[in-house]
Amino acid sequence: MRRAIGLLAAVLFACAAAGAHAATFDWQRYKGHTIHFLNENNPWANELRRELPAFTKLTGINVEVLTFEEQQMRQRLVTILQSHDAGVDEYMSLSSLEGPLFAHAGWYADLGPIMDAPGATMPGYDVKDFSPPLRKAVTFGGKLESIPVNIEGPLIYYRKDIFARCGVALPKTLAELQAAAAKIHKCDPTIIPWVTRGLAPALPYTFSNVLHNFGADYFSGPRRPDLCAPKATAAIAWYADMLRDYGPPGAVNDSFVQIADLYGAGRAAMAFESSNEFGPIMKFPGRAKDTGLMLLPPGPGGQKPTVIGWGLAMSAFSQAKPETWYFMQWATSKAMQTKLALRGIAPPRRSVAASPAYRAWLAQDPVRAQWAKLIDVMASTGTGEVGPPVRRQAQARQIVGEAVDKVLLGQAKPQAAACSADKQLATMLATP
Amino acid sequence: MRRRRFVWMVAPAVAFVAVMVGFPFVDTLWLSGFAFHFGAAPHAVGLGNYRLLLGDDKFWNGLWITFYLYAIALIAQLVLGLYLALLLNRMRRFSKVLRSLLISPFVLPPVVVGLMWLVILDPSIGAANYLLTALGLPPSLWLASPGLVVPTIALIDTWQWTPFIALILLAGLQALPADVFEAAAIDGAHGFALLRRVTLPLLAPSIVTAATLRSVDLLRFFDVIYVTTQGGPGDASETLNIYGFRQGFVFLNIGYACALMIALTVLVLAVVGLLARLRRTVAW
Repeated sequence: MRRAIGLLAAVLFACAAAGAHAATFDWQRYKGHTIHFLNENNPWANELRRELPAFTKLTGINVEVLTFEEQQMRQRLVTILQSHDAGVDEYMSLSSLEGPLFAHAGWYADLGPIMDAPGATMPGYDVKDFSPPLRKAVTFGGKLESIPVNIEGPLIYYRKDIFARCGVALPKTLAELQAAAAKIHKCDPTIIPWVTRGLAPALPYTFSNVLHNFGADYFSGPRRPDLCAPKATAAIAWYADMLRDYGPPGAVNDSFVQIADLYGAGRAAMAFESSNEFGPIMKFPGRAKDTGLMLLPPGPGGQKPTVIGWGLAMSAFSQAKPETWYFMQWATSKAMQTKLALRGIAPPRRSVAASPAYRAWLAQDPVRAQWAKLIDVMASTGTGEVGPPVRRQAQARQIVGEAVDKVLLGQAKPQAAACSADKQLATMLATP
Repeated sequence: MRRRRFVWMVAPAVAFVAVMVGFPFVDTLWLSGFAFHFGAAPHAVGLGNYRLLLGDDKFWNGLWITFYLYAIALIAQLVLGLYLALLLNRMRRFSKVLRSLLISPFVLPPVVVGLMWLVILDPSIGAANYLLTALGLPPSLWLASPGLVVPTIALIDTWQWTPFIALILLAGLQALPADVFEAAAIDGAHGFALLRRVTLPLLAPSIVTAATLRSVDLLRFFDVIYVTTQGGPGDASETLNIYGFRQGFVFLNIGYACALMIALTVLVLAVVGLLARLRRTVAW
């Protein structure tokens, strides 16, 4: 009897607490406050910025927006964070790149206690709705350090009309992909058969998928670089050969901007680029009709797509954490993510991915459905390893990118470039 | 009394230099003695970063690229600038209009210059390759070629800064004593002989001044490289300044980046010191 009364009391308390939680949530609680949002020029942020007046209208909170290109954003961000400056309250963060370093440095605010504070979070926000692998990717040491805002990975955009005109079948292996590029090159020399990243620091994003499909890894064990191994060397050779033999002139300087432009403008038959560029590419005339999508075909090591996601993080040094959380939950709410999903931003929330609105939008166009299906495959089978598993990601990625570029430019043989990269990585790891 | 007044007059300038130049320099020197990565606690390494620097291939590559770019850009700008100055000095009509037009490249922000040339030199859609192929010449990779990237950057800088040299030399030419030229003409000196034996020796202080001003800029050249190649392809255009920036703001290796910047500062001061000495020897 006492146990039953205790249980009843606990249930009543929980209900009361939940009620109070919901009842005390007030969007206008921080009316007149100002927060500072550092973001990069990417499709998610560009779409979200269009919605900012609605946020200010809803909450009365002013948002000072600072937009930069990715590299410049990161340079500005680390300077601010290193100096413990409160000039930025929230920022976009790529956990696969800077997550370990930022978490180690204590630059992320732990979002758990902030969102769990009474009256801090809107009813129905449901953080568990975010795809578990993405939540895991933004959790460091048990602390939720950012909220996923998208899900993305490299995939191949290809021109169905060119494939048909040149009699090229969809490649089922990496070897067939190379043969397809060769056939297109022969069939129509005015078309660039293959475009992908060549710019050293940006290249590991696409190269990692090739590396893993060759059955190789960056490291063979803790702190043991392994690019010099035959499988990894073969991956470097394949990547460089494809760009040198079938890529655009000057491919070594290309990143996602040039790739989306070349493919979008109709100058390339295949573009191996982020799924995040889907929206911008589809805006080019004709591309929505003649584009097909596929994952990078399997290689000797099978098919291991790359999957990552941007997150929205709060600065540990913010002096406006509660109001910043208001913005973060609004920007990552089910309603906002549904709205952005209908503009080509792959939703990290499971409920949004399954929502009737999103499904209806996908059904309007076969290429949209194909895009969503491939992202589902990436999410379930992909790996988040975009560079060597070290804290100094930027330096490690530069080393990998330069090794591939040396082969691409004919300055080194694959074996020599790969072994040299291993040495540089080992030196980097040995340097305090 | 006068001495005390003089001290008070120069004090603000001295204070300004101490705060704006002295402090950052001393701070950079201090930080170069630490192994200091953003996000981790710094620890003192003494001259460790400088020892690391001597064994770093990228440092030597950066040094070579810095001097290579400096040499070809400076020579091109001095030769073309002198030619333009001589031309303007002899022009009687349209001289003022031409001078106004010449100012336009170097008042453009470097980022605009970089972006503009990035589009012109794009290997796929740029106007430069369109022009070459229209003339029956093979297209070039320009900024994407490891062999051509430094001369191409030098070309951009020459386009922007040759008029600056020309205007300095033009001012120098116009200040030269007319009687010397009259005497030389009476002695029968004309054309190239006049230029070589009279004009150039008299103009030498102005040439060295222009070279000094450009040297400081060229040795710490950053903006146009950052906008166009970011040191690439590979590390083919990675000057010391770009390498230092990458170490500091991309790899977040602040201690080592400071050591690189101190090395660059020493280099610039050494070159400027040599040119100052040269200026004294050519003074008349």
